[in-house]
Amino acid sequence: MTSNTTAPDTAQSTAERLRVAGLHAPTDAVLSVRDLNVRFNTENGVVHAVRGIDFDVLPGKTLGIVGESGSGKSVTSMAIMGLLPPTAEISGSVRLKGKELLGLSDKAMCRHRGNDLAMVFQDPLSSLTPVYTVGTQIVEALTVHNPTMSKQAKEARAVELLGLVGIPSPKDRLKAFPHEFSGGMRQRVMIAIAIANNPRVLIADEPTTALDVTIQAQVLEVLHAAQEETGAAVVMITHDLGVVAGMADDIMVMYAGRPVETGSVDDIYYSSRMPYTMGLLGAVPRVDIAEKTSLVPIEGIPPNLAHPPTGCSFAPRCPLASEACLDGEPDLREVASGTAHSAACIKTEALADVDAHAIFAAPAVPVSRFDRLPRHERKTVLELRDVRKHFPLMKGALLKRRIGTVKAVDGLSFDIREGECFSIVGESGCGKTTTLLEIMEFHKDQDGEVVIGGLSNKHAADAKAKGAMRRELQMVFQDPTGALDPRFTVYEVLAEPMENLGMPKPAIRKRIMELMELVGLQADHVNRFPNQFSGGQRQRIGIARALAVNPRLVVLDEPVSALDVSVQAGVINLLDKLRAELGLSYLMVAHDLSVVRHISNRVAVMYLGKIVEIGDVDAVFDNPRHPYTRALLSAIPVPDPELERTRERIILQGDLPSPLEAPAGCNFATRCPVFAALPPAKQEKCLTLEPALELAAVDQQFACFYPDGELDADMVVVHEDH
Amino acid sequence: MTNLNTIDPAAILDEGKIENDDVVIGKSRIILRRFLRNRTAVAGLVIFLTLTLFSFIGGFFSSWDKETIDPFNIGMPPSAEHLLGTSQAGIDLYALTVEGTRVSILIGVVVGLVSVLIAAVYGCTMAYFGRKVDKVMLFILEALIMMPALLVVAVATSGGANGLKNTVPSWLLLIIVLLVFSWMGTARLIRSLSLSLMQRDFVKAAQYMGIPPRRIVWRHLVPNIGSLLVLEVTRGVTGAILAEVAFSFIGIGIKVPDVSLGVLIGQSTSQVSTFPWMFWAPLIVMFLLTGSLAMMNDGLRDAFDPSSSSVGRTKRGGARIGRAVTGKTQKTSK
Repeated sequence: MTSNTTAPDTAQSTAERLRVAGLHAPTDAVLSVRDLNVRFNTENGVVHAVRGIDFDVLPGKTLGIVGESGSGKSVTSMAIMGLLPPTAEISGSVRLKGKELLGLSDKAMCRHRGNDLAMVFQDPLSSLTPVYTVGTQIVEALTVHNPTMSKQAKEARAVELLGLVGIPSPKDRLKAFPHEFSGGMRQRVMIAIAIANNPRVLIADEPTTALDVTIQAQVLEVLHAAQEETGAAVVMITHDLGVVAGMADDIMVMYAGRPVETGSVDDIYYSSRMPYTMGLLGAVPRVDIAEKTSLVPIEGIPPNLAHPPTGCSFAPRCPLASEACLDGEPDLREVASGTAHSAACIKTEALADVDAHAIFAAPAVPVSRFDRLPRHERKTVLELRDVRKHFPLMKGALLKRRIGTVKAVDGLSFDIREGECFSIVGESGCGKTTTLLEIMEFHKDQDGEVVIGGLSNKHAADAKAKGAMRRELQMVFQDPTGALDPRFTVYEVLAEPMENLGMPKPAIRKRIMELMELVGLQADHVNRFPNQFSGGQRQRIGIARALAVNPRLVVLDEPVSALDVSVQAGVINLLDKLRAELGLSYLMVAHDLSVVRHISNRVAVMYLGKIVEIGDVDAVFDNPRHPYTRALLSAIPVPDPELERTRERIILQGDLPSPLEAPAGCNFATRCPVFAALPPAKQEKCLTLEPALELAAVDQQFACFYPDGELDADMVVVHEDH
Repeated sequence: MTNLNTIDPAAILDEGKIENDDVVIGKSRIILRRFLRNRTAVAGLVIFLTLTLFSFIGGFFSSWDKETIDPFNIGMPPSAEHLLGTSQAGIDLYALTVEGTRVSILIGVVVGLVSVLIAAVYGCTMAYFGRKVDKVMLFILEALIMMPALLVVAVATSGGANGLKNTVPSWLLLIIVLLVFSWMGTARLIRSLSLSLMQRDFVKAAQYMGIPPRRIVWRHLVPNIGSLLVLEVTRGVTGAILAEVAFSFIGIGIKVPDVSLGVLIGQSTSQVSTFPWMFWAPLIVMFLLTGSLAMMNDGLRDAFDPSSSSVGRTKRGGARIGRAVTGKTQKTSK
C-alpha cells in the first residue's frame, strides 16, 4: 500500500516496518502511532497528506509536533481522534493503551473521545456551544462517560475543574454563558472540559494561536497545571517553535506529511541535523536579542502531495541538495546510535556544527541612506497630535441612553520620520487597529490632528488633498487572501491604484513589471489569479500594490501574522530591503513582539488606548520600565529550551478590563504586578492620578509612577524543574 | 522599454493558458467538473434542454396546430392521427402541449432572469448606499412581501384591468405580475451578501486607494456574487413555472385561448377518469420541467459550494487547490 510512496531502495514491506518499529516501542506508551497514512481525494487527485508517522507518547510527557501549514500535523491529530471526514482514507495503526483505535466505529470511538483521549481545539470562540452555560457543557462531558455519577458530584467536579484552570469564583461562573467569557477564559473552559474525565492523552491543536501573548502565557501555564494534575500524555501541535520549547519533552518536526526530525527538545534546538529544522529555527526572529541579522528565508513552497515525491521532499528548497538527495526519500535515521534523536537527511553527519545562516545564505542587512542621519534631521512623514476616538456605549431597546464611553484611542501623539519603522504593540483591544483606521480615515471632524507628509486633516480635507494624501500613504493588510479580489488577475490588482490616479496605460505596464521584480515575483505571473499563489507570494502582491503609487509611508497591519514561519522570514527580509532601498517609512501594528523587535526602529506599547511606553526599540525591549511592557516581553516564549525552563515569567492575571470599568488613575492598575505589591499608601497614587509620559533615556518615555517597584510574587512564575 | 511588449492585453484575458497549467485549476473549470460529475444534475440539464427544443420544433412533427378543430375526433384517446389524443373541443392535444410548454418555459425563464436582475440591482444599491436609503428600500421590500400576491394576480388578469387585458396578451400580463412579486427574497439575500463583501479587506483596500464607491460596487461586488446569481436564476425559473401552473390551474393566470401547462391541467382535472390522457400528458411535462430544474439546481449548488463533500476522482493534478480542499474539510469536521 505504501509501496508507491517509499522509494524503491528504501522499500520495506509495511509489515516489516511495523515489526521493527514495534520492537522498539516502549511498552508503557499510552499512545503509540505506527505507519499512519492519510489520503484525501481532491479535484487534483489523491493527496497523500500524512505519509507514515510513528511516535509514542509516555504518560506525563509532552510531545510537540511542529510544522508549517499543510505539513499534516492537524490531519494527524484528527486521524487519531477519528474526526476526519469519511472521505479520508486512513491506514496504519493508532493504539491507545494497547487498544487499536483505527477502524473503530464512530460509536465505539465516542467511548474514548473525551474520556481517555481528549482534545483542545485552536479556536476557543467557536468550540463552545453559545446557548448552554459552561457549567452545563462541563457536566455534559462528565455525564456522557459517567452515567452513574450523581448530580451533586458532577457539579462539585465542574467547580473543581473550573478552579483548576484558574477561573475566579468558579461556583458562580458555572452559570455563565460562553459569550460572557473572553477568549482566554473560554480556552480555559475548553481545557477544563478536556481534562474532565482524567484523560490519558490530551491533544492540543494550536491551543494558543488565536490568543494574545499575555493570555497565551496564562493558558500555557494552565495546560502545564492540567498535565501535572492528570498525569496525561500531551501531544502539542503548533507552528510556534517558542511555545514548544518550554512545554515539550520530545519534538517531532513534520514536513510534507512526514516526520523529518525527531528527538528531545535539546537535540532539536541545539544540535538539529536536518536542514529544514535548521532553517525553521533560523527563520524565527528573537525577542531577546538585539543583534541585527537578516532572517533565514527558506525559498520555495512545500511540495505538492498529490504527486508522491521521488527524492527527499525538502530537496527542492534545500540549499545543500545534491544529486544523491533526489534519489529516493531518506528514512528517519538515528543521528548517533543509541539516542532517540533521528533525522531524515543523508547529510546528517556533515551538519553537526553548521550555522543555519551560512547554509541558507541569509542576505546581508540592508542599510538605508537615512540610517546615517540622526533622527531629528530627517523629515517628518506622519505626525499625530492628541488623536482621540471615543465610542459612546448605548443601552436600552427603545430609548437609547448613554451608559459610558469606550476610549478606543485616548490622546495619542507620535511622529514617524523618513526611513524609519515605527511599531505599535499591545494586546487585542488596546486600540492599535483603531489608530490605523483613524490615520487612514483622514477626516476633518476627527478629534485630534493627523499630518501626513505636511498635509493636515484640519486644513486640507477636501477631495483633492485626500487624493494627494492617498499617494503618500498606502496600506498592507493582515490577511493576504482577503485583501486581494479573488476575481482579479495580479495585473488588475496592481493596476487598480494607478488607473485611479489616471496614469497612462504604457506607464502602468512598465511600473507593474518594476513592481513584480521589486517584490521578488516572476514577471510572467501577472496573468495569474491570487488563488494560484502561496500565502507569502500573495502578501508580496499586497506589498507591490501598496508600493504602486510610490508612497512615502506604508501602513502595515500585522503583515506577517497570517504567514508560515519560513515564509514570514522572506517577507520580513523583503520589507527590510524595501525600506532601505526606497527610503520608505513604515507604521506597523503587530502582536508578535519578536517580529517588531527585528524590523522596527522605534516602538510604542499601547494599553487601553494610551501609550504606556515609547521609544527606541532596543532601549524599550532591553530595559523596559513600564510594568506592562515587562509583562508583555516576559510572556513571549523564546525558542531556546534552556532559557525557557529557567527564566522567570510574569503571568498577568485576568484580561483587559472592560472599558466601562477603566480605572480613574493609571488604567493598568487592575492587572499591574507592581501595584499589587505596593503598600496601600502608594497604591492610592496609582488609583487617583494618571501617570504622564516621562523621559527615561535619550529616546524612551514611559508612564508609570513606580517603574522600579517590586513585582508581586503571585504573578511571577519560575519553572525550576521541568 | 522592451519588456513593455511582454504583456499583451489580450493575454491578460486569456485564462485558458493558465488553466491548462497542471498545478493550478481555474475555478470555473472546477465548477464545471463538479457539475459534470453529478449525474443527476447532468440528466436534469439534458431533460430541460430537450424540453425547450421540443417546445420550439415539436410543432413541425404534427400537421395539427393549436387552433384547428378536428370535428371527427372530439375527446378521442391517443391514436396514430393524434399522438396524444384530442381535447373536448377537438383540438390536437400534442399541439396544445407543445404550445403550453413553450409558454410555460418562456414565463419561467423571463421571470427567473429578470427578477434576479432586479434583485441584484436593488440589493447591491441597498448595501452600497446603506443608512436611510437602505431603510426606505427595505421597507418597500417588506411591504411587497406582505402584499397578498394571489389577489393582485386575480385582479390584474381578470376583472380589474379590462382595458389592459385587451391590449396585452395574458402571458405577458402574468409575467409582469409574477415579476413584481418574485424578486424580494433574492434581493434581501444579495443585500446581506454584499454587506458582508463590503467588509472584506479587498474592498477596504480599494477604498483606501481612493477608488470611487460606484467602481467598487461594479468591479468588486457584482463579480463576487456571480455564483449566487446563477443559482438564483435556476431557482427563480422553477418558482415561476410552478407559480404560472398554480395560477392558471385555479383560473386566474393564463386565460383561454392562450394555453399553458397550467391551463391544460386545470381544464382536465374534472374529467380525469373519463379523459385521462388530457390530464396526464401536460402533468408529466410539467414534472419533467420542474424536476429537471431542481436536479440541475442541486448540482449547481454542490459545484459552487467550496466546502461541499464532492471529492475528486483519481486523476493527475496539482497542489494548491488540493491542499485548500483538505484544509476546508478539516475545518468543517471540527
